[in-house]
Amino acid sequence: MPDIPIERHRLDNGLRVVLSHDDSAPIVAVNLWYDVGSKHEKPGRTGFAHLFEHMMFQGSEHVDKGEHFALVQQAGGTLNASTWLDRTNYFETLPSHELELGLWLESDRLASLLPAMTQEKLDNQREVVKNERRWSVDNQPYGTWDERIQAKIFPESHTYHHPTIGSMEDLNAASLEDVGEFFATYYAPNNAVLTVAGDFDRDAALAMVERHFGPIPANDNLPPPPDMSISPLIGEALREEVADRVPLPRIYVAYRMPIFGSDAFDDLSVASDILGVGRASRLYSRLVRERQLAQDVSVFPFPIVGGASMFTLWATAKPGVGADQLETALLAEIDQLAAEGPTAVELERIANLHAAAVESSLERIAERADRLSMYACLFDQPERINTEVSRYLAVDADRVRRAMADTLRPDNRLVLTYLPAEAPVEEAA
Amino acid sequence: MPATVNPLRPVAGAPRPYHFPDFHRHQLANGLTVWTVRVPSAAVVNVHLLVDAGAAAEDEAHAGVAALTAQLLVTGTRRLDAGAFAEATERLGIEVSSESSWDSARAAFQSLPEHADDGIALLAEMVREPRLDEGEFDRLKAERLADILQARADPGRLADEMFLHHLFDASTPYGRLSAGTPETVGALTLQDVRTFQATHWGPGTAHLIVAGPVEPDMAVQAAERYLGDWTGGRPGHRTFTPKAAGARRVIIIDRPGSVQSELRVGHLGIDRRSPRYFPAMVLGAILGGVFGSRLNLRLREELGYTYGARAGFDPRRAPGPFSAAAAVQTEVTADALKEMVDLLTRVRDAAPEESELHEVRDYLVGVFPLRFETTGGVAIAMEPLAVFGLADDYWQTYRQHLEAVQADDILSAARDLVMPDQFLMLAVGDASKIRSALEAANLGPMELAQAD
Repeated sequence: MPDIPIERHRLDNGLRVVLSHDDSAPIVAVNLWYDVGSKHEKPGRTGFAHLFEHMMFQGSEHVDKGEHFALVQQAGGTLNASTWLDRTNYFETLPSHELELGLWLESDRLASLLPAMTQEKLDNQREVVKNERRWSVDNQPYGTWDERIQAKIFPESHTYHHPTIGSMEDLNAASLEDVGEFFATYYAPNNAVLTVAGDFDRDAALAMVERHFGPIPANDNLPPPPDMSISPLIGEALREEVADRVPLPRIYVAYRMPIFGSDAFDDLSVASDILGVGRASRLYSRLVRERQLAQDVSVFPFPIVGGASMFTLWATAKPGVGADQLETALLAEIDQLAAEGPTAVELERIANLHAAAVESSLERIAERADRLSMYACLFDQPERINTEVSRYLAVDADRVRRAMADTLRPDNRLVLTYLPAEAPVEEAA
Repeated sequence: MPATVNPLRPVAGAPRPYHFPDFHRHQLANGLTVWTVRVPSAAVVNVHLLVDAGAAAEDEAHAGVAALTAQLLVTGTRRLDAGAFAEATERLGIEVSSESSWDSARAAFQSLPEHADDGIALLAEMVREPRLDEGEFDRLKAERLADILQARADPGRLADEMFLHHLFDASTPYGRLSAGTPETVGALTLQDVRTFQATHWGPGTAHLIVAGPVEPDMAVQAAERYLGDWTGGRPGHRTFTPKAAGARRVIIIDRPGSVQSELRVGHLGIDRRSPRYFPAMVLGAILGGVFGSRLNLRLREELGYTYGARAGFDPRRAPGPFSAAAAVQTEVTADALKEMVDLLTRVRDAAPEESELHEVRDYLVGVFPLRFETTGGVAIAMEPLAVFGLADDYWQTYRQHLEAVQADDILSAARDLVMPDQFLMLAVGDASKIRSALEAANLGPMELAQAD
């Protein structure tokens, strides 16, 4: 069971600070979660939260374009950022004596991004992001799967309906005014969590945080969280077929499910692992090994909190196996587990796999910092990093059966099928 | 919004020294070498069993047998069939992996410390008494053939495969994927796998690496107990001298409808024991190994042609490729390729500025402790010592070797190791949209090739 030390603070400007000390290696992680993601985007500006994240690397008042990366890497650090539906995170792992560099760089762009913004930088990063979209979605076999699922599982009125990467049209429309407005609205200390994890002196680290982040004013007019309320079930069976440049059919099955953080999410995480984790999992052992219908299988719930989440599976058909045959087999496995519930041996298997996987992930100080920021940002409970495993282990067969019956129902299901196209597929513009 | 009150970059504190953990080595009577790396604070144990049974140990008629053998090992033992073996390991929280590269094969797992001994017992049973049955062989062979199809539908993976295919002369094994081609994999039989396994999987060339909160005595005792009376294992790898298939040339692989072109530029590189290894690593990072590298700054941060560009050497037992890579939007394919070629060519003109050298070298030196924060990272670090016979003090002196690399060493490495007259320039994209611009760019003789 993880036993990660946690110390919480809050600066006067509202910045939530989480410290987690571990001096087993001379390295330290700095991790910031901003409570803004693609779910906060306005109509006509899909993809903007992510484009904005790119702009955060284009310099600030005291940091030149490119210098953020250069200074961290020259110090022997690694860094990146990512944007998703609920949030945007920024992170560095550094040799411990360079902690203040990471804090200073993060504070400078939070305090003074806008003076460094130019049309040229925006146009450059717009093209980079459009190429990111081409690379990860448009030019990739099965690359549109997640945006197709989101578009079906969530209605147009719900902001999980559109993908984080956004549309080419909306990326083209993004302006410098949008950058200014987004920054002023969401990039404020009272809309963020800062985690420092690893090898640091507590008092010195707190003084550094206060020195660099303390003077940054809060946004007293933070907008209320977007209304993400949504009915727990879709209410009908949905289907979509896509002709794509793929050699083998692939079936995606997706359901609307309860949000990350709920007990039902834990129940369905256990169901997901029984179905899809390891070679002894139900889908691998039966569909891949025994019946040889599938080339590969994958199952996962999305850890998102906006009204509802998604439970997703996919299986790629073996050559000669029809999409219909694979779909029937896949759904039968889900139904069977929902009806019978898992066996004691299955629960033991995934419990041990889960415990080992968590310990393995938490070996990386950056991962530890990211999870602390996540639990603090989403639930205001960084301590959940230590209780997640016991929550998971508390799920029993009855809970799995009940949650599956409630959620993995035909009237709450999308089946998305990719079929090999006869002729080359015209790409969306 | 008021500016931060701290406009100046903070001064770093005093670095806390970091030392790569000490390791202990012990050879059993049957030849197996046990490497134990104590990481007292670790929450998990990593166990890697390496043998000289990589793709370099197979003959070309059986290309792919090394990979298929490694994969088939996890489908059970004489005692436990595939399902029972998966269940026995996973009930301990262990997922066993088994795979091969050019230079070795590796069966491995990670576990909580209390399950490590049981894990080693199962790993030993797997390599000593593998089941290797017909049904699982047929299944994995079919999966491998389908995976080749899938890989060729992915433009990036297709470009990687085609780059190797066109780079190396037909006599050089490196011209294909280490896991084999559809033709060679399609011809493999279960007997081929059994023979390969019996010949090359044995203690004679084996290394057992154990990293984590484990005492060397315990690791050696476990090795003795489960692998001490294992026999066999002949040195496997062939020696060969890679040759290029041609001089400077452009090859287009047509992929109609592509909205990006996957570009690759490069030629033969260096081997893992090359005396140029450290200058080559710094040179690769300057060109395309860090965010501020020349390729990434120009193609991404200035021109916006790509989400990212990279470059570097891939040293193996024999010289592997040197390559640069980027996926660029279709309309700028020829311009982007020209930029890549120009940047690679110009690295031969002058030594890097001290500031550029510092940025890259300080990164490679400074990031050292981050590379070993996981026990998996520590276990992997032992592998080149075991496989290539690098010196015992390799990691102790690693940062000194990097720090010794000077600007003149980079220039001399660039002039010897980057050869514009040898560039293979490959584009996987929509030929109808990129061909005439590539012709007009006049980068070299051009050929339109098929993707197989």
